[in-house]
Amino acid sequence: MSKFKSFLIRTLQLALVLWAVVTILFLMFRLMPGNPLAAYIDPTFTAEQQEALIRQFGLDQPLWRQYFTYLANLLQGELGYSFRYRTPVADRIWLLLPNTLILTFSSLIVAYAFGILAGAWLAWRRGTRTEAAALPVVLATRAMPEFWLGMVLLAIFSFSLGWFPAGGTRSAGTSYDSLWALYTSSNFLSHLFLPMMTLAIYSQGLPLLLMRSNMLDVMKEDFITMAKIKGLSPFAVVIRHGARNALLPVMTSFAISVGYQLQGNVVVESVFSWPGLGRELVNAVAASDYPLAQGAFLMIAVVVIAMNLLADLLYSILDPRISHA
Amino acid sequence: MKAIRNLSLGAGIAASLWATASFAQDPIRQIELLSRPQAAQPAEFQAIQLIAQEWRKLGLDVKVNVMPWSQMADAVWYNRDTWDVTAWQMTGRPERSDPDEIIFNLFHSSTAEKGYNFIGYNNPAYDKIVEEQRVTVDPEQRKALVIEAQEILAADQPNMMLVHPQQAFAFDKTVFDPTSVVDQSGIGIRSYWSWLNITPTGDQKDIIVNSSDNVIAVNPLYISGVTDNWLTELIYDRLFRVGADGLPQPWLAESFEWRDDTTIAVTLREGATFHDGQPVTAEDVVFSYEATTGGEAPMYAPFGSNVSGIAVEGDNTVVFTLGTQSASFLTSSLAKINIIPKHVWDPVLADLSTKDENAESHQEDMPIGSGAFKFVRWLPNEEIVLEANADHFNAPKAERFILRLVPNAEAALGMLRSGEINFLTDFQGDPQVLLDAAEQDGDLEVVSTVDIGFRYVAFNLRRPPFDDPAFRRALSAAVDRRLIVNAAFKKFAVASNSVVSPALEYWHAADVVDGFQAGTDVAKSILEEAGYGGVGDKLTYPEGVSETLAD
Repeated sequence: MSKFKSFLIRTLQLALVLWAVVTILFLMFRLMPGNPLAAYIDPTFTAEQQEALIRQFGLDQPLWRQYFTYLANLLQGELGYSFRYRTPVADRIWLLLPNTLILTFSSLIVAYAFGILAGAWLAWRRGTRTEAAALPVVLATRAMPEFWLGMVLLAIFSFSLGWFPAGGTRSAGTSYDSLWALYTSSNFLSHLFLPMMTLAIYSQGLPLLLMRSNMLDVMKEDFITMAKIKGLSPFAVVIRHGARNALLPVMTSFAISVGYQLQGNVVVESVFSWPGLGRELVNAVAASDYPLAQGAFLMIAVVVIAMNLLADLLYSILDPRISHA
Repeated sequence: MKAIRNLSLGAGIAASLWATASFAQDPIRQIELLSRPQAAQPAEFQAIQLIAQEWRKLGLDVKVNVMPWSQMADAVWYNRDTWDVTAWQMTGRPERSDPDEIIFNLFHSSTAEKGYNFIGYNNPAYDKIVEEQRVTVDPEQRKALVIEAQEILAADQPNMMLVHPQQAFAFDKTVFDPTSVVDQSGIGIRSYWSWLNITPTGDQKDIIVNSSDNVIAVNPLYISGVTDNWLTELIYDRLFRVGADGLPQPWLAESFEWRDDTTIAVTLREGATFHDGQPVTAEDVVFSYEATTGGEAPMYAPFGSNVSGIAVEGDNTVVFTLGTQSASFLTSSLAKINIIPKHVWDPVLADLSTKDENAESHQEDMPIGSGAFKFVRWLPNEEIVLEANADHFNAPKAERFILRLVPNAEAALGMLRSGEINFLTDFQGDPQVLLDAAEQDGDLEVVSTVDIGFRYVAFNLRRPPFDDPAFRRALSAAVDRRLIVNAAFKKFAVASNSVVSPALEYWHAADVVDGFQAGTDVAKSILEEAGYGGVGDKLTYPEGVSETLAD
């Protein structure tokens, strides 16, 4: 089977997954108990106005018609209007997505850089006291809830020591000419630090443990024995020969981690008042703002699915032995 | 399902088949009491637990059912026949400084089917009094009617009033002169008047406040949220403002004159300009009022609907003709409707009239008003920056007003202490934590004010046993409000027995609150007097009354 054809089949499979996600999202919000008009209950609000709103939101239509309208709009790239903001959902998502992506990728890069090096090192120190002490610590960081870790970091580094600000992406009232100027400013980086570290501490465990176990396998291979026999330095053996071969599964797990990290963002963005998509998702669900919640979930699903596809493709490119035939 | 209360004596054969155990009095079914979750509304949740406990002492079988707001609204507001009892609240807003909105909309029979009288209260005598106070312009006469309305409610107990909360706000007194902070009656120091009057004493010239709610829109024709209102209030002027004393005062209007009961002439201030430099004219005022009732701004429509005619007279006088006489017109319309520039909104509204959307979905990039602060920028979910309008007739003392959006209450308090914000305008945590933090810090001043809003327990008067005033009086009397104030609200509230808050000193019926008798014994004796059986054990209806819940 040609590479192109296998790619096409993968893409079709993903489209099917996406359709399932869209359908579940649609039903999930509408079958949830509660009423999207709850936010508008006010003594000054007449029954006629509420009915007008229901019509405007399209909630007077039967469910199947709402579903097909939703699908048809979606195929045209139309995510609908937010009930609360009354503005297009897509606009809202594009405004907030950059903040979420920057937090996600910066924390993953820190987590993977640390995890890979520490994992390799721990494999080298197999059977020592260092390993006995380090492994429980790593497992503990994996088990800590992110919001708790976030609050602890806030309490120590912001409230007590005053080293870092407690929320937002910049100090009150500061403005920058461009996103680039903002992202490279010390103001932004000091605001980024705590939420990024919270996510990084939470997610370094996966690459670390993965790297360590891969390394342990690789270190038993003949070519490592060969390298040792050649009299290479431990650094050359571990990093140049061992780590490079153990890295492959770790790199593909990076792609998949992006999806998990987006989940973590939901919590961390609320703790650190980070203006991202995750926090918006929480607000939208709380306010029964179906179109916005669906749009935000869908965006996250698209990223996860795309990253899975990327992981697949990376595999076959990085290791030609794996094919999709 | 519709509940009907029958006299079994007069009931037909079918009914007597139902009443199998007719030798005894009918037991009262299990009562379902609704509350929002502890995580979202800790005080309400705690109060409901306490109330259930007190009611059980009377012999009532009470089940507490906890659900989030959107679900509760559905169960109560949109399904008016099927719920029993629910916790509920009204929030305080400057326009509610006039008692009309509360005493009319919540209890008048005309709003029972779909409006705010969701409890289904129907009392013709009460209707008559609240209709009359609406058209009574003489304050003393009107006050007597408002007091009488409160007395009827106290006797009928359609709602079980719990407390008027005390909202606690804090600011950094090393940044602002504490004497320049204005405590608005029933609203607190987080008031419009504070933002105008606050005087910075050092290098920090910005007022930096917080909100846990997101800003939905900055739109003069859309009532989108409480926090959004802080902004529109500052960006847009209104003809009148509710003053720090709770009474309306001329604002963009220089003077006004009632020509007869339904005609008021308002003369505008000279020299006021919009933020783009254009003058504020009488045509802009006419346009602003017509915009509210023109169909493109449904949420503002009720505030403008009583205006049956509006005309410009001379250069800068606007004459309003009212459909019906209205005592609260200054507060509920003139102090509510934003004055918007015709040159900006006329083309927008014309364009919207051809579309499905209305003005509520129109978000300007740069909202233009004539208010004391100008819009600068909005970073979604992060902050909104306004700057002082030096040309305003009441120019603010501070340089900027910056609203930070902080969903995390602990972080907001931490930010206040670190200076990331300097005025805590929204604190969802335990007020005691705030007081402790202020004591530790030394730089913070906490001010708490009794709210216009209130918390209560609403009975569904459509369903037995809540259709009996004696039963409601007994349930209400069963709960000592001091318990609710101390245990549920941690003392940050005052006990209530009237929908008109003591913060509205002029309208508040103090005797109704002071004369309220509470205690399990009081409640039991009311029930026994009314003929209920099994008091303190397993409560039953009075002899001859049966509970029928028919389709």
